Amino acid sequence: MKISVDYARCEGHGLCADQAPDVFSLDDDAELTYHFEDLEVPDEHTPAARAAVNVCPVAALRVQP
Amino acid sequence: MTSARSVLIVGESLAGTTAARELRALGHSGRVTIIGAETHGAYSRPSLSKTVLKDPATDDTIRQDLDGLDVRVVRSAATAAHTDRRTVTTDDGREFGYDALIIATGAAARRLAAPGQRGELVLRTLDDARRLRTRLETARSALVVGAGFLGMEVATACAARGVPVTVLDVDRPLERILGSHLSVAITERAAAHGIRFLQTAGFATLAGDPVHGVTLPDGTELTADLVVTCAGETPCTDWLPRTGLADRLGVGIDSACTTSVPNVFAAGDVTYLRADGTHPERRAPFWSNAVAQGRLAAASALGLSPTGPVQDDYFWTEIAGLTLKVVGPLPLVGEPTTVDGRVTDGRALLTWRHSGGHSTVVAYGLRKPVAALRALAGSVPAR
Repeated sequence: MKISVDYARCEGHGLCADQAPDVFSLDDDAELTYHFEDLEVPDEHTPAARAAVNVCPVAALRVQP
Repeated sequence: MTSARSVLIVGESLAGTTAARELRALGHSGRVTIIGAETHGAYSRPSLSKTVLKDPATDDTIRQDLDGLDVRVVRSAATAAHTDRRTVTTDDGREFGYDALIIATGAAARRLAAPGQRGELVLRTLDDARRLRTRLETARSALVVGAGFLGMEVATACAARGVPVTVLDVDRPLERILGSHLSVAITERAAAHGIRFLQTAGFATLAGDPVHGVTLPDGTELTADLVVTCAGETPCTDWLPRTGLADRLGVGIDSACTTSVPNVFAAGDVTYLRADGTHPERRAPFWSNAVAQGRLAAASALGLSPTGPVQDDYFWTEIAGLTLKVVGPLPLVGEPTTVDGRVTDGRALLTWRHSGGHSTVVAYGLRKPVAALRALAGSVPAR
C-alpha cells in the first residue's frame, strides 16, 4: 500500500500521527513528515496508516489505488 | 474469542467508520455491517465549508474508504431499532440482527424554516455544499443566520467570492464558545475582510417562500440573494423512538460509550456524555471526539476494557484567513491567563487556566499540531 500526501492541503492538525506515529510525525511548527514517501508502507503499519488516512480532517491523505 | 459476535453499526459517519476500523484492529473476525443513508458514502465533512465550497474539483477527493476491512455496507436509512429482539430495520424493508449495536448516525443541520417554507439553505452534507457553491456563483448578497464556527466559515467563503455578506446572531461571533476576548478580535478581523456583523435583540426568522431574507424581532426585514442557516445541529435520533436510548440531547453515553440499553453503544455527534459526579451532561460534537468514541465503542462492543478518554476536546476553524486551534474545556470566560504573542498581530498562543488544573490552549493564527497543544493544556490524547 502506498499513501499520497497533499502537502498543500495539510493544515498540521497531527491527528494522523496520533493514529500512526511510526508513519507520520509533525514538528513543533506542525510541518508533516511522511516516513514512507514513494515507498510501500510496511505491512505491520498498514492498519494504523489506513486509520490515519481516515481521520485526517482535511482529507490530505489518500491511499493510492 | 469474539469471532461469533456480529456487530451492526448504524451511520456511515467518521465515528461509524472509525468503529469499523477499530473492530478489525482489535482482532474481531466476525461480521461487521454498516447501515448508511448517505448516498455518497462516507466523506470528510470539515472539508465542505472550506475546500468544497471553493472548488468543484475537490468533490471526489474527500471520500473515506473502508477498503480491506471486510465490512458489509447497506445503503439505506435505519428506520427503527428493536432492542428487545436485537434488530434494526431499514427504509428498504429489511431487518438486520446484531449481537452488539453501535449507533453513529451523527447530527443534522438545525433548520429555522416554518413548516412548508421552501428554500432554506444549510451546510452539513456534500449535497448542501454543492447547492451552496452553485448559488454563490451568481449571488450578489448573502445573509448568514448564526455567528458560530460554521456561520463564520460560510461568511468567509462568501467574502472570498466577493459576495457582500452579513452575519446575524444574538451574541457576537463565537462569543458563546470562545468568550468576549477572542470574539472582539475575530469580529474586527472579519470586518476587515468584508464580513459585516449585526447583533440582533432576539432570534431572527426566515422571510419569504421561497426564503429571500430574514425578519428581525422588531419587524425589520432584510433581504438577500442567498440566506444560509448556520444554527447548530440536532442529533439524528428520529429512528429511535420508544427505545429509551435518546432524549433531546441525543443518545446518552458513559465514559465507555455504553448506552442505557444492554448491547447498544454509541459514538460521535449523535451522543452526549451523561452527567456524573464530576461533570454535567454535555454535548461535544467535535471531529476528535467522534474518533475517540468510535474506538471506545468498538472496544466496548467486543466486551473489552476501553482505554483512553471519551472526550478529546480539540477543534479548529478558519475565519477570514485566520486559523484557530483549540484544545481543552469550553466555553472560555474572561481574560486569558497567559498570552504569548499579540492577538492584534494575528499570531498568539493563549491559555486559560481553569480550577481543577485543566487548561484550554488556543493557537491563534499559529501553526501548531494537536500534540503540542495537548502538552500545553495538560490533556491526554485519545490514544
